[in-house]
Amino acid sequence: MSTTIHRPAPARTERRGPRPGRVLLYVALTALGLVFLAPLLWALSSSFKARGDIFSSPPQLLPGDPTLENYRNLLTTQPFWTWFGISVAVAVIATVVSVFVCAMAGFGFAKYEFRGKSVLFSLMFSSLSIPFAVILVPLFVLLVKAGLGNPWFALIVPWVAPAFGIFMMQQYIVQSIPDDVLEAARIDGCSELRTFLTIVLPLLRPSLGALAVWTFLQSYNSFLWPLVIITDTNQATLPLGLQTLFLSENRAYDLVLAGAVLATVPTILVFLLLRKQLLEGLAAGAVKG
Amino acid sequence: MATQETLPAPTSTHTRPPRTRSTTATRAPYAFIAPFYVLFVLFMLVPILASVYLSLTSWVGLGTPEYVGLRNYGNLLTDSSFHKALVNTLIYVAVAVVVIVPVSLLLATALNARGLRARDAFRVVYFVPMVVSPIIVALIFSLVFDQNYGLANAALKAVFGVGSVDWLGQPTVAKVAISLVMLWRWSGYLTIFFLAGLQNVPKDLYEAASLDGAGWWRSFTSVTLPALKPVTAFVAVTSFISAAQIFDEPFLLTAGGPSDQTLSVAMFIYRAAFQRQQFGYAAAAGVVLFVVVFLVSQAFNRLLGIGRTK
Repeated sequence: MSTTIHRPAPARTERRGPRPGRVLLYVALTALGLVFLAPLLWALSSSFKARGDIFSSPPQLLPGDPTLENYRNLLTTQPFWTWFGISVAVAVIATVVSVFVCAMAGFGFAKYEFRGKSVLFSLMFSSLSIPFAVILVPLFVLLVKAGLGNPWFALIVPWVAPAFGIFMMQQYIVQSIPDDVLEAARIDGCSELRTFLTIVLPLLRPSLGALAVWTFLQSYNSFLWPLVIITDTNQATLPLGLQTLFLSENRAYDLVLAGAVLATVPTILVFLLLRKQLLEGLAAGAVKG
Repeated sequence: MATQETLPAPTSTHTRPPRTRSTTATRAPYAFIAPFYVLFVLFMLVPILASVYLSLTSWVGLGTPEYVGLRNYGNLLTDSSFHKALVNTLIYVAVAVVVIVPVSLLLATALNARGLRARDAFRVVYFVPMVVSPIIVALIFSLVFDQNYGLANAALKAVFGVGSVDWLGQPTVAKVAISLVMLWRWSGYLTIFFLAGLQNVPKDLYEAASLDGAGWWRSFTSVTLPALKPVTAFVAVTSFISAAQIFDEPFLLTAGGPSDQTLSVAMFIYRAAFQRQQFGYAAAAGVVLFVVVFLVSQAFNRLLGIGRTK
């Protein structure tokens, strides 16, 4: 992919010294960065405040007397780790399956000519503009009637073939897998499936990473569908568990904040570890399409 | 980039394709794309058809749905909550397309400044809100927007000396608050697309423009914007679709209040089905949303040429 072309000519700016416009730009960009981070950092800081200090006027930026009490209370009074376990397990399974399904379909669209291809592709692509709210009610009814309203089916299976992921994969494969590699494999007598598994998949690694982070975040953070389909509190996902605390009559902000911090750690970690692949992979699909 | 390369027919290039191979090669692509279509039919097509059917019935979730013809749609026409939900959703869509998308373009243009240091760091920081779960965003912002103890009013007080805005309780302000959260959450994400688009604009176009004596604004409008058309189209359509079905932010921040003033269509559907057991009515609202969103985005895609196989 083409990300190396924007290398600056460093000598130029250094020779002239920082221009006032440039300084202003850095100040503005940094201020904006603070706006993006401030609410999160404030929540992080508040999670270490004593219950009474979370609401104080004027608001304290840093906890006057930092304490781990909120975390201790959360972990001893709430089934936090159960929620966490369900969320992570659902998201990991959904991610693995969906990355595989998307790569396969993307490969089919990118490297083969077949009858009905353009109609099928348009159908797939148009499914991106189906609002989830229209499916919400009937899907709920159908799954509950079929006895499949448990998290392991309902939160995973319907969501493992996102059109967005297929589109992204198709774009990436068109650009990065040369036809002669496939041709060589065919001449060597590889079956189509084996070619895909042993030759194409390894070459796709960067964009698989991007898709994986994206799918993981989507699944781990999803709210509306679990809210509707999960009725058993023992099967609650993290967002549902936090919402229960949030809606409880005393608005248990102390517990909720600690939970929010713990719940966000994995997503931020995954994002930071794979940020390059994710940001570039997301962009590649849209830009080069 | 080179997307116009067309694929050679897989078997035509070498002379002696083994017979079995060519039949598997013609079946293979269908096998590769089959899982998507199975899931698509089961979990999208069937539910949409079921939705159309349910929308013609009156059903509380138990027993048999009773056929009522178009009555649900007739009721939607006169339901003031639904009207509010439609208007509010339109406002959210307008905010997304008319405010958030241009802001993201502006951000991307700033980040694309030549020789900018720490570009990647800025990019990552701006993206972080998108990574955080909506429920967590909502609970953080319900603290930020708290009338007496929140960060928003404290900041207003520090800068302007006044600040006891009822962020989530006053109809207009609550919409502003929700829009601000959308802006905060989405703009860094959309910036990524614009930035990648900007970096793909051939540099010699700018050089040619500046040789012709074009200033910054001139080269922005005559080089950058036309080159960004496909990205802008993609971003605008995606934002439209997401905003049209917005649920999490208003549901969690204001629960649609005060008096339905922040209710969205998706929330209306949720409330009708799962809080009032009017499944047929909810399905009818879903069908309306689907028709509008689908037609508008298909029209845009057609118009702007998004999503072609090439």
